Amino acid sequence: MPFQCQKPIDKRPRSSLTASGRRRKEVALATHDQHQSSIQYALTTLDQVANWALQGSLWPMTFGLACCAVGKMHATGPRYDIERLGMLFRASPRQADLLIVAGTLTNKMAPAFRQVYDQMPEPRFVISMGSCANGGGYYHYSYSVVRGCDRIVPVDVYVPGCPPPAEALLYGISLVQKKIRHRKVTRMWYRR
Amino acid sequence: MSTILRTLRNLRRIGFKEYGHQMNYIGDTKAGTLIGTDRYGNKFYENMEEELPLRTRWVDYKEHEYDPSQIEPGWHAWISYMVDVPPTVDRALQTGVRAWELPEHRPTLTLSRAAFKTYSTTRPKYSAWTPVAAPR
Repeated sequence: MPFQCQKPIDKRPRSSLTASGRRRKEVALATHDQHQSSIQYALTTLDQVANWALQGSLWPMTFGLACCAVGKMHATGPRYDIERLGMLFRASPRQADLLIVAGTLTNKMAPAFRQVYDQMPEPRFVISMGSCANGGGYYHYSYSVVRGCDRIVPVDVYVPGCPPPAEALLYGISLVQKKIRHRKVTRMWYRR
Repeated sequence: MSTILRTLRNLRRIGFKEYGHQMNYIGDTKAGTLIGTDRYGNKFYENMEEELPLRTRWVDYKEHEYDPSQIEPGWHAWISYMVDVPPTVDRALQTGVRAWELPEHRPTLTLSRAAFKTYSTTRPKYSAWTPVAAPR
């Protein structure tokens, strides 16, 4: 059953123009929308199918920069075997859905990193793995290190640790899958 | 590792309803003894004789949107093979709840409204100014 909220939509008087001067377009929140049509029901199912397909074959990009890549290799190995999750490391960003930034991102690597991210097709997700990728970590005060890969690309999940164990990376991957499962692609398109 | 014979044998033990449930959650057909249920409602099973090493203990999550952090610390130690006996009989876990402990286990709240957000408790070392642009 869709979530029914009792709260009415905010009806306070407002300016009819937005801050940028365009016409304001009021759209009710999905939880406040009392009108439930069969199209929304169908789109919800469509979203679930698309999200299920994506989260079951999440192909990560090979992007090991430093020792965290060893933890990533452990996740690939027989004990934590991420191929059972449908994850297959791709060497080309054009075939990848997920970018696992494993290791220290240096200033020299940053343009190449951004290019790799730009070459990935939508929808794309980024996991920042380890202290160095999260915020510079041990090399935070170095002259040549980017203090966190979120200065270069938007990051979905941060995995802490120096280096994080393979379990922590797997948990981060499962959080990305959870995020994928809650995407509302066609529903948001319908609301527009 | 599953063979047709093993699947059929476990299917005969657990029944079709549990079979469908397990295929939706753990993707395997397993039969074992119910060791216990934690306060959250997750059920923990064990089969030491027939399953392969490191697959002898498994959990049946209560929620459909399951998450490994929903497992309580004691049961996490048990299911990760850190201890031999479940926390219901473990002497080290019989001490009860300390004053500083949370009364109930709280799973990871990331990606929810209650997710942790960083904040600063110190005064900022600099303050932003309001720029004044001269008219052109």
